[in-house]
Amino acid sequence: MKFMFMIYHDENELRALPEREMQTLVDSALDYDDEIRRSGHYIVSDALQPAHTARTIRVRGGKVSTTDGPFAETKEQLGGFFLIEAKDMNEACAVASRFPPARIGIIEVRPVRELKHS
Amino acid sequence: MKYVCLVYLVERDMSAMTRKEADACVEESLAYDDDLRKAGHFLVAHALQPVEAATTIRVRSGKLFTTDGPFAETKEQLGGFILIEARDLNEAIQVAAKIPMARHGSIEVRPIREIRAPMGRSMR
Repeated sequence: MKFMFMIYHDENELRALPEREMQTLVDSALDYDDEIRRSGHYIVSDALQPAHTARTIRVRGGKVSTTDGPFAETKEQLGGFFLIEAKDMNEACAVASRFPPARIGIIEVRPVRELKHS
Repeated sequence: MKYVCLVYLVERDMSAMTRKEADACVEESLAYDDDLRKAGHFLVAHALQPVEAATTIRVRSGKLFTTDGPFAETKEQLGGFILIEARDLNEAIQVAAKIPMARHGSIEVRPIREIRAPMGRSMR
């Protein structure tokens, strides 16, 4: 089964980290990537640029409207994601809990819905 | 550059669709994935199961806390994503505006932050 990890964190809290601590966090995240590649869980992952770089789009009645900023203005913002393969939700959560930034952020684990032709 | 298109939807509206309408949405979404593949924009895309299938995890002082449900209780929920390759934000927005679900929900387009490249690691 495939699962998505959505990594939420407070961008202000991250920005306030000393550079060295930030680098340690990034390095530990990259090591984690390698670890879950070796264990066969990894499919794809990416970090996102800060929420203020986002643009939000709606199409209503054929008209496209765009607004600057993320869809939701929340204290914690989506900062990255992982797509992984795991046996079940328990295994997925066990993998997610080892992600080093889980110490300062929050991870939502959600199973993927396979879209099939009807 | 890589961009992620985050698709937010009101799950209740989606589950209120008739089977035929829901099937048409799926077909349209799969067809758009194919269009993006042909145009060279497509990297990966997935729909997500409803938020009640989510588990939220925190690790504090070495202790693991898990709660059922999504991180944020919002009217619209993340229903899926499309990771694309585009020249710039304008091209990414053009791609996002044609996502069939943009007519039902909202699409947040966010550039990817490359943190691997300098270390010679690459996405598989």
